Amino acid sequence: MAVALPAVVEELLSEMAAAVQECARIPDDHLLSLKFVFGSSAVQALDLVDRQSITLISSPSGRRVYQVVGSSGKTYTCLASCHYCSCPAFAFSVLRKSDSLLCKHLLAVYISQVMRTCQQLSVSDKQLTEILMEKK
Amino acid sequence: MAETLRRVLNRGSAAGTGENTAESGPPLLLLGAPGCGKTALLFAAALEAAGEGRGPVLFLTRRPLQSLPHGTARTLEPLRLQKIHFQYPPSTQELLRFLCSAHEATGPVPSLLLLDGLEEYLTGDPGCQEAAYLAALLLDTAAHFGHRAGPNRQCGLMVALQTQEEADGGDTLQRALVQRYFPAQCWLQAYEAGLGWRGFQVFLEPGESGPRAEWRVTFRPDGEMTVTPGPNQTREPSLHTSSGSRGQL
Repeated sequence: MAVALPAVVEELLSEMAAAVQECARIPDDHLLSLKFVFGSSAVQALDLVDRQSITLISSPSGRRVYQVVGSSGKTYTCLASCHYCSCPAFAFSVLRKSDSLLCKHLLAVYISQVMRTCQQLSVSDKQLTEILMEKK
Repeated sequence: MAETLRRVLNRGSAAGTGENTAESGPPLLLLGAPGCGKTALLFAAALEAAGEGRGPVLFLTRRPLQSLPHGTARTLEPLRLQKIHFQYPPSTQELLRFLCSAHEATGPVPSLLLLDGLEEYLTGDPGCQEAAYLAALLLDTAAHFGHRAGPNRQCGLMVALQTQEEADGGDTLQRALVQRYFPAQCWLQAYEAGLGWRGFQVFLEPGESGPRAEWRVTFRPDGEMTVTPGPNQTREPSLHTSSGSRGQL
């Protein structure tokens, strides 16, 4: 995540990671911070994490990509190395309007990284290419 | 990538000595109007990285270079040239396919990924999500190469994007989007050096990896390139101020 989030969000995520390691859950004050920074996206993202909607897909090459099943049942692709999600909210609110830092899917990916709860799926190198190509 | 470029320019001006680190620095976007030396700088960076004893250099561009860029004759060792692998994706779709399937390639892992003329792949108004995906995939591909090269290794990334003097709204939005993915940026501005000389100013803003810097690069009529460190005052290049909102992703 070299190119990722403002420092304050990075800090919050790493504090959360430390807390999760210690007591296996996200402390309430961190949840409040999430809500404060991300508004309603925070609740929706936590819901996606609860429903195990995030899958980390990897191929033998070591390349990885995330897929998140949104609340509507649609699957979105999130890149693992930098900030990108294929959903319309990311295109509109993050890229075009610059009025959000990220969409609920990316936030769900980051939270699931912190909590180490995402599903894992191994595919062939060719299949991974198709997954990356599909998303537009 | 910002650090490789800094080495190239410091070497040219004999201002940098003892910089033998192979650190390439964060992904860099090279911005400038047509004909202000973007390709020459990319090629110089390719030769620099090819001489560092690491993996090959991958140079992506829509069409083959018509001639070797000015000022590179002295460093044209055949062994270095052989390490620069050119690829010519003919369309945006082909470039996407190349990046999406980069992990299928076998052979030595590139140490540097270069793309000249990103604007040629952003024509036909691809929409902001497509432009962002292309930028994000370039970063993802370089990150994957770095990961494959081993612990504490990275693959540099340097992308040249042409800027227009009179950009319309769509171009400005597209450029702002692409800029958000690149922590380090470098602006080139041509100036009249007189008597057939061509010159351009180079403003490097390497993000968090180091201080801003400025150079002047001049080409004599015979193609000889000279680099001099720029004035010390850190001036805002005009392109920078016009780029509007530029939040980092």
